[in-house]
Amino acid sequence: MSTAALRWARRNLFAKPFDVALSLIVIPVLAWVLYVFAVWVLAEARWEVIGGSLTVLMTGIYPAEQLWRAWVSVAALCAMFGAGLGLSLHPGRTALTVVALAGATVAAAAAAAVGAGAGTLAAGSAALGIAAWVGVHRSARARRLALPGLLVGVAAIFAVLSPPGFELWGGLLLSVVLTITVSILTVPFGILLALGRQSRIASLRVICTAYIETMRSVPLILVVYWIWIIVPLLAPDTSIPSLLRGMAGYALFFAAYVAEYVRSGLQAVPKGQVEAARSLGMSSWTVNVDIVLPQALRVVVPSLVGQILDIFNGATLVFIIGLTDFLRAGQMILADPQNSGRTYEIYVFLFAVYFAIGGAITFASRRLEAHLARGSR
Amino acid sequence: MSAIQNLSDASSREAIVSIARLNKSFGSFHVLKDVDLEVGRGEVLVVIGASGSGKSTLIRCVNGLEMYQSGRLTVDGFHMPTQADREIGGDRELAEIRRGLGMVFQQFNLFPHMSATDNVAIAPIRVRGRRPDEAKAIALRLLDRVGLREHAHKFPGQLSGGQQQRVAIARSLAMEPRIMLFDEPTSALDPEMVGEVLDVMRELAREGMTMMIVTHEMGFAREVADRVVYIDQGRILEIGTPAEIFDRPSQERTRTFLSRVLRH
Repeated sequence: MSTAALRWARRNLFAKPFDVALSLIVIPVLAWVLYVFAVWVLAEARWEVIGGSLTVLMTGIYPAEQLWRAWVSVAALCAMFGAGLGLSLHPGRTALTVVALAGATVAAAAAAAVGAGAGTLAAGSAALGIAAWVGVHRSARARRLALPGLLVGVAAIFAVLSPPGFELWGGLLLSVVLTITVSILTVPFGILLALGRQSRIASLRVICTAYIETMRSVPLILVVYWIWIIVPLLAPDTSIPSLLRGMAGYALFFAAYVAEYVRSGLQAVPKGQVEAARSLGMSSWTVNVDIVLPQALRVVVPSLVGQILDIFNGATLVFIIGLTDFLRAGQMILADPQNSGRTYEIYVFLFAVYFAIGGAITFASRRLEAHLARGSR
Repeated sequence: MSAIQNLSDASSREAIVSIARLNKSFGSFHVLKDVDLEVGRGEVLVVIGASGSGKSTLIRCVNGLEMYQSGRLTVDGFHMPTQADREIGGDRELAEIRRGLGMVFQQFNLFPHMSATDNVAIAPIRVRGRRPDEAKAIALRLLDRVGLREHAHKFPGQLSGGQQQRVAIARSLAMEPRIMLFDEPTSALDPEMVGEVLDVMRELAREGMTMMIVTHEMGFAREVADRVVYIDQGRILEIGTPAEIFDRPSQERTRTFLSRVLRH
């Protein structure tokens, strides 16, 4: 071991008697747990169950002959994610290598589990994402188009996926599409609520405040359930699919949190900014849109990206309205008696995928924070 | 007598700002008490007074950043709505008045997310409906005029305090104001940058711009002011030419104030 490593260990693990005692207990236990887990992962676990049910995990009960629609969505999602990266992360050699390796790993896994066709499609989607990343980063024109591109992308995914029927959406794809759609819907709604909360018009102020506080004091699952049961009561003749009702519930719930984030951003904008804008004769609308919101949102963007994680993790609750999200798809596979002994494999896989996606979102939020802190000058 | 001087000055010029028996309170704190004042077209009026005397509040009332409770305030023919008026509207008159007024703040208040050019161009685009390229051309011309042509692409955070304040002046000028209000424009500046801002203001005064200036720069006041107003505890105590106020003030309080600020 090098002296640097020894010094690090001495300072961080064995500096004081208490540290020594803690390290002597924790490190061996941790090492033993890791060893047992590694033995299980590499030697004992039967990973074929994941390969055999990968399609169900990813798309739920989406009809097999329509899977090309799911692949188009995956490609679109990769391009959108790449474009998002292009706004904040410089495509340096290390970053490109890491992302390319991750893409190649996923593609190889898909090829091994499902077949060469799936592998090629996955690799192609990853390549598209990387191309979008580099392209958006290089060109200012593409950067301006990134936001409209995101909206067009979501609309395209809906258009491509919807023909077989909303009730057939499922798996990880459902979780991801729900997360992105809800995240986008909450932003304009949350901004309006935040502006309404500090409006000069008293009735508007009261309504917005009441809405925000109500939503913040009840659980998500209740709001989703309420929207689900109340829509048929309000509009008995129409049948709005559960998925859309669910999305509405999530959007209505999380918009209240967005409103609070935006409010903290609005409060961070100095009063002098509004006074300067007003003294130039700008209308309230212009003051908000051109002066206050750009500065407020800059403060808020990392929190909003962090909230995408909350929405993604909260999306596991859609099973209560009968939808098959990623977690539910895993449980569906276990319900098959053939797979009854494969509980640990499935749950480890679910854990790993949730952890990977959650980690990526957290990383993006940190990057964005650092990027904006540097850009704010 | 200063009263006679005041009268003759007001009558010799057409008044562009006229204030009569204006009262302003923050809650129970009575800040401005029965203020009467007229600013003539093309006049440079400097307001001096101790901190907390209400001089900033007075200038902020003139463009409606502070609301007044009673009295009369007209700016370039428009009646400034009182607090009671503004509770039920008054936005149109206010916007109308502000379009003809430029305001320069102690803390510059430049928009930090825009380049110097965009800071100057945004109001002509959004308020006057100018085309962006046209507004940018105006912005560059004004930045040139305040000596910042080569800094036009920079963001406020990359500029010194003096440069930021000159951009702020250019930003106000872009709306072609008929009056410029300055609220302690050099108080937040390092001493070596005060000169560059005062030079720009001096230039404006020479071109005949109507200006109302709150400042602690007594040398500058004496040099450019047509009239100096001394405010004490929310009342106008004395109005006169710089020579009258600085050399032979009639009030004891003015003398005390001046001896304190002029000593160093």
